[in-house]
Amino acid sequence: MDITESSVSGVKVAALKGRLDTATAPAAEGAILGMLEGGSKVVADLAEVHYVSSAGLRVLLKAAKQAKAGGGSFAVASPQAPVREVLEISGFDKILSIHATRDAAVAGLA
Amino acid sequence: MPLTMPEEILLLMLDDETGRLQERAAPSGDFAIAGAVLAELALAGRIDTDPARLYVVNPAPTGDALQDRALAQIAAATETQDSRHWIETLAADADDYREALFARLVSKGILKRVEGRFLWVFPERRYPVISDKEEREVKARIMGVLFNDEIPDPRDSMLIGLCRAGGLFSLLLSSAELDRVQPRIDAVADLEELNRSLADAIREIYAQIARYAPMV
Repeated sequence: MDITESSVSGVKVAALKGRLDTATAPAAEGAILGMLEGGSKVVADLAEVHYVSSAGLRVLLKAAKQAKAGGGSFAVASPQAPVREVLEISGFDKILSIHATRDAAVAGLA
Repeated sequence: MPLTMPEEILLLMLDDETGRLQERAAPSGDFAIAGAVLAELALAGRIDTDPARLYVVNPAPTGDALQDRALAQIAAATETQDSRHWIETLAADADDYREALFARLVSKGILKRVEGRFLWVFPERRYPVISDKEEREVKARIMGVLFNDEIPDPRDSMLIGLCRAGGLFSLLLSSAELDRVQPRIDAVADLEELNRSLADAIREIYAQIARYAPMV
């Protein structure tokens, strides 16, 4: 999985690319939790993620949990339709802040 | 050493004083134990799931004989199946899993094994609790998650789904409390795909029972 980090309007963006599953979860978790340190605002952009497994979902949940505990904030941007469906089936959309575009997610946190 | 989820769920299904399994936990208790074994494998990074499939990502043994037995069985399958298939398949061996789990809980000093007779005739083995510290800790952990709004850990979500599957919340909570926290139980449990498959499998059992049970 490729993870590209950038920053927009004081919000850090992790653009993930590939599959988010058991194989890639540790790297994604390390990157996102690292970006959240110090109470930062972080968006995980899933535009280039075509598959999220249960292990991948747990990464997003841990990020939201850490953001809440550390005084930061976390949002998910631009999930593809199959990924969005998995997020909705599991009720993650009730816990995570999910936005249709990266700009909307950044604006929501900025 | 902390208990594994199969050990925790079996302990919660046990009537502490009589040492017999709670009637309420049957027949879904077998599925809850199977689900608990799969939950440990998932959190150990050995299997992963999505709504359509359960698949092995790392066949390396975990060192836990029960989990490794299930992992080997899944790894040896010629076709990929979904979580519900594996819950139902492992549940068929629930007697073996339960016996092994009881033996572990006895060796850890949590239960004792009592051989007796039921109705003076039938041999019966019971497992009264001799140390309730572990069970109290598990219950406290569950209640902590249910009665606050924090985002749960994956392990706690799994355990709450297993308790829901085993029908255990009606033993742990008053009916008024249960009514109040049922939406939270469902929200926390449904975060995990294994819990949703478990709930589907159990709904089907009860539908079958209702279909074939004599009308009274």
